[in-house]
Amino acid sequence: MNFEHCIRCTICVESCPVFKVNPAYPGPKQAGPDSQRFRLDNEKSVDSWIKLCCQCKKCNVACPYGVNPADIILEAQLAYSEEHLMPLTAHMFANNYYMETLGSAFAPIANRVTGISIVKNIMNVVGISTYMPMPSFHALSLGRSWKKKGKGKKKVVFFYGCFLNYNRPDLGRKIRDLLVSMGLEVILPHQVCCGLPALGNGDLKTARRFAKKNAGILCDYIDRGYDVVYACTSCGLTLVHDYPGILDIPNGQKVAENTWNIHEYILDLIDDGYVEPVFGQMNKQIAYHIPCHLRALGIGYPATRLFDMIPGLEYKIFDENCCGLSGSYGFKKKNQETSIKLGEIAAKAITDTRPDVLVSDCGACRMQLGHFTRLDALDPAEILIESLTKATQKS
Amino acid sequence: MSKTTFDAVIIGGGMAGLCASIHLLEKGLKVALVSKGDPVISLSTGCIDLLGSTPDPMDGLDMLPEEHPYRLVGSDGIVESIETFKRIMAETGLDYVGDAHTNRKILTPLGTTKTTCLVPETIMHSEFSDEKYLHLISFDGIKDFYPSYITSRKTLAGYSTFDAGVSTTMAIASRFEEKRFLDEFISWLKALEVPPGKIALPAVLGIESSKEIISRISRETDRKIFEIPTLPPSIPGIRLFRRLKNLFQAKGGYIYWGNDVASFETTNNHIEAITLSTPGRPHRVGGRAFMLSTGSFVSGGLFAHRDSIRETVFGMDVYLPGPRQGWFTQDFFARDHEIEKAGIRVDKAFRPIDSDMENLFVCGSILAFSQVMKYQCGNGLALSTGFMAAKSLEAGIS
Repeated sequence: MNFEHCIRCTICVESCPVFKVNPAYPGPKQAGPDSQRFRLDNEKSVDSWIKLCCQCKKCNVACPYGVNPADIILEAQLAYSEEHLMPLTAHMFANNYYMETLGSAFAPIANRVTGISIVKNIMNVVGISTYMPMPSFHALSLGRSWKKKGKGKKKVVFFYGCFLNYNRPDLGRKIRDLLVSMGLEVILPHQVCCGLPALGNGDLKTARRFAKKNAGILCDYIDRGYDVVYACTSCGLTLVHDYPGILDIPNGQKVAENTWNIHEYILDLIDDGYVEPVFGQMNKQIAYHIPCHLRALGIGYPATRLFDMIPGLEYKIFDENCCGLSGSYGFKKKNQETSIKLGEIAAKAITDTRPDVLVSDCGACRMQLGHFTRLDALDPAEILIESLTKATQKS
Repeated sequence: MSKTTFDAVIIGGGMAGLCASIHLLEKGLKVALVSKGDPVISLSTGCIDLLGSTPDPMDGLDMLPEEHPYRLVGSDGIVESIETFKRIMAETGLDYVGDAHTNRKILTPLGTTKTTCLVPETIMHSEFSDEKYLHLISFDGIKDFYPSYITSRKTLAGYSTFDAGVSTTMAIASRFEEKRFLDEFISWLKALEVPPGKIALPAVLGIESSKEIISRISRETDRKIFEIPTLPPSIPGIRLFRRLKNLFQAKGGYIYWGNDVASFETTNNHIEAITLSTPGRPHRVGGRAFMLSTGSFVSGGLFAHRDSIRETVFGMDVYLPGPRQGWFTQDFFARDHEIEKAGIRVDKAFRPIDSDMENLFVCGSILAFSQVMKYQCGNGLALSTGFMAAKSLEAGIS
């Protein structure tokens, strides 16, 4: 860890969303490098506020000295969880994958149950916040559509992630078809949760178990000439940053080196002359909320370069505010106030510009900001699909 | 030419890099901005120092050494750059006041004054005279603003303290964005019945809506209000940085934020691309021309070893002010440490003299002989060399 490189300039504090709205959290400088000086191997973790960090990684991006406060804080969070009894909610969200598998299997029942007020009360007592509806489950998850689709010289594995799998498999299939339309052979092999919810809830063991399982599956395909493509930027960041990083699993580096953001990948295909997609006219003004984890990927915002190719499309980038949900963070009662405040700040910035539609790469951002802005919240891929469809309808 | 190649790749997202990029975008070029992290301007007072030694900054130009980068910009170039900057800021909605011929003195939290040239509207009424009463407002528990520092130096002043429920500048500024909080604050302020005169607060009047907030307080209290920039986290600095960054994006600029430049590719003294050390796999950014605006030591553009100084992106030769024993003067707080002269020497077109690379331009405080501490010319030097180097780059690729 590079905490010695910190010159205490507070540039990380300036970009921290939680510090701005929750006085109980001392900010990334103090929670990260400052406190790290006192965290000795034989000392107990005593600072419960460490759990208030939402791991948006904005401080990592802001730091000009390469300190990566969020990574220091994540280690401290894991140490804290290791030494303290994990609350029930943390167990539940860490094992979100299994919960969602269950929810998906019994989708009609599960969806109805989470909407009942008594159940909401129980959820509140347990520590789950219910300020917005739980995402609804879908029975026809993507895990069941593993067959190869499309033909092409280039072959990709689509790492779809839990949100598309259990909550929006329709969108998952659309994105798969978008990849097929780019002249790719696409496969959706069986896969498990990327491990981020477990990591965020202090369960390193479960996170590592998931990561190992995925790395095994993905490397099997990588060895056979496949590239890995993701759409969810949080899954993506976990694959490229955490697999070889904090999770430190065998083949983690190999997964990281062979994994692409979907828009980055499509741009490369266009650049190499592999495809020449024709984009149709779209007279829309979109608010593009950049998920914090897309920022942290360091690849810029590649979807905007595709938006630039769509005639008539206007977009405005919102990359300063965290939506506040941050995966399971905002679903916990203790973070509810922070999450709502951040959601309202981010939503206000967006609605002030009166866009037609909200776009974001992250399912959680779309849920939260769709809720607070009351706008339709789309994945950037849906914009591309709409534009491509318009072009084919015209010709 | 690859479709994803940029016309210009600007390395360093501070004042110089942002101004250079915005100029190039306005000329219709495709621009990428690469930055390791947030820039020093977001920690600054948000004011634009031009040249601190004389009441009219332009009078001080002739006293500068021949090698100073301002000599390359010239007085016409400086005046034009300042006007361009004001136009750009007006476009972002964060207006700046002042002109290149007038220095002003603004009040600091220590009760001293600081010489600067352009200031944001929220600071424009800043003054410190012994004849007129000044009322200060502070906030319960705030660590970066003690009004008694100011009142101890000035007899005609008083202060009151407001309980904002939070105590850091970031959190208070965030609360000012809430309408109900602002209402509460204004009715509290009105009820104080402050003696006639201006009212000053630490710079916490909102992050996004400072203009609306300060004009509402001023209207409802019928007073002139001004902000006093505090220690970092500095709200006026954050406002300045974010507005410039957002304007860059609104004009179609592409941002790579948070990564080092790991390496670069050249053919025949021509830079083809740089490679960023992104998580997982390096990310290549191709360009027709490149601009280096990575700043000096604090921003990481220069790195001092025991006996040498390195330029951190291209490994260019750095001008050294003699051997190490002469780099520093005895007085730590002195403004004229020789090491401040270290940097990249450039020709009239802002191309590095000590490098063969023909499509590389350099601007900002990484330029040799800048000595921004000595001449109090930080942001002014950054923005004027940024605009001028951008013009040169533009001419170089057309």
